[in-house]
Amino acid sequence: MRPGLIKEIIKGIFVKPVTIQYPKEQTLIEPDFRGRQYADLKKCIGCSLCAVECPANAITMTKIPDEYVAPKTNARRIYPVVDYFRCVFCYRCVTVCPVNAYLVTNEYRLASSTIVESSELSLSTTTKAAGGV
Amino acid sequence: MVEVTHLIEIPMAVEIPVGPQHPALHEPLLLKLYADGERIIKVDVMTGYNHRGIEKLTEKNTFYRDIFIIGRVCGICNAVHTNCYVRALEYILDVDPPPRAKYLRVLSMELERLHSHMLVLAVTAELAGYETLFMYLMKDREYVMKSKEILTGQRVMADYMMVGGVRRDIDEVKTSRILDIIKRVEERIKYYHKIFQEDVTINRRLRDTGRIKPREALAYSLVGPVVRGSGIKTDIRIQDKYDAYGDIPFNVITEDYGDSYARAMVRFGELYESINMVRYILTHLPQGNPVPDERKLPRRFPVGESYAAVEAPRGELTYYVSSSGGDKPYRVKIRTPSLNNIVNSAFTYVDQMIADVPIILGSFDPCISCMERAVITDLRRGVRYQVPLKELGGVRK
Repeated sequence: MRPGLIKEIIKGIFVKPVTIQYPKEQTLIEPDFRGRQYADLKKCIGCSLCAVECPANAITMTKIPDEYVAPKTNARRIYPVVDYFRCVFCYRCVTVCPVNAYLVTNEYRLASSTIVESSELSLSTTTKAAGGV
Repeated sequence: MVEVTHLIEIPMAVEIPVGPQHPALHEPLLLKLYADGERIIKVDVMTGYNHRGIEKLTEKNTFYRDIFIIGRVCGICNAVHTNCYVRALEYILDVDPPPRAKYLRVLSMELERLHSHMLVLAVTAELAGYETLFMYLMKDREYVMKSKEILTGQRVMADYMMVGGVRRDIDEVKTSRILDIIKRVEERIKYYHKIFQEDVTINRRLRDTGRIKPREALAYSLVGPVVRGSGIKTDIRIQDKYDAYGDIPFNVITEDYGDSYARAMVRFGELYESINMVRYILTHLPQGNPVPDERKLPRRFPVGESYAAVEAPRGELTYYVSSSGGDKPYRVKIRTPSLNNIVNSAFTYVDQMIADVPIILGSFDPCISCMERAVITDLRRGVRYQVPLKELGGVRK
């Protein structure tokens, strides 16, 4: 009845630690990890289904600024803005979207002291109209 | 001059609050101990520090939004919670998921059982004062979490169940990776099992603490590994054969003695069974498409009610869902295993040492966030059965 862990502990002295020095060394994440998602404004039709279905009420439909080009299918010129502080990353918005407009990434480093949301990312998917609309 | 005729001895019953914030408890629960010296006379279990009102919240949201809210009832057993709720919805809709989806559901739930049992065994070791073993067990638990990330897309919050199937499929690369992880984890679990059997610290602290006789286990309606540790063979996976549990071979593990050590051993036995089941599922996975198109699912539900039960890592978990037509449930009732195991188990602490209280509580695998939903009846009664000091012993003769 002696502890059998002693051998393991001695072995552990000579091997690399399991823990990693996080900001210096990045965590290994699966390519299909459910990370930051945002709408592709070339595809989005502004149907608001993602905002209705979001269990955390993280999505608000916002008007596309006038200087940006919106597809003709998006008649109301609105697009979803995801508040990542509220988002629970369940990807319900991704799966209910009728036009598969959401772009998914495995980005998980979202800690910030200012509000993190998807408007900048979404607007970067479309182009600015020359001289406004 | 007054003649002394009587000697009154008043035993000191000290009231010791353990919790809600206490180094031995990881979650907010108050155990009010009444101790005579080192020996416990009586325990009051006080809950209600973590009430979030999720049952009410589900009534305000649609059936589909509720699937993700239900997943947040409990972090560790989120897949079993959603599975139970989703199956209750499927009974109302009369939908039968394809066989591949059923297998994948069982796979995610068994991976969950693996990491849940590894967690509670690690916590047991920690409460027994063996923190090195805690660290090592948690290190190997991380591999199981990785396999869950490979399968579902996140380490903890699976969000894997959907009415009519699961939310993502598995390919051959992922299958072989999970099989590799499981092989590595199995070797480690065998090693830790040996340590639990042979180690002095673990044996002295766990043996003979918190013994529950089979009759008591039934009388207080305890569930899960706790009742199986007292020699009663009960398991919803066998009795109900929900999802693919009818096709997958496994055994129900029981131990006879009923102390904390027996409960730990039941959990080790179930770890081996879960590993075998995971291996069986990944090698016998049926063909087909397990992922339903979430855009085509019916938005309005027919009038009806349903009741579903699963064997969560902590025991029998049941959901009652009532639909009055429309897109929101009329009522969702959740009965979690921890509620039975923690609130009803105050009798096990009596006549034990104060130092053993965390170990006994740890051996029940408490999940406070799970059980905080049904606490209202306790609070409303608000009766405290306190015995005055003079009645406890040393009464004037």
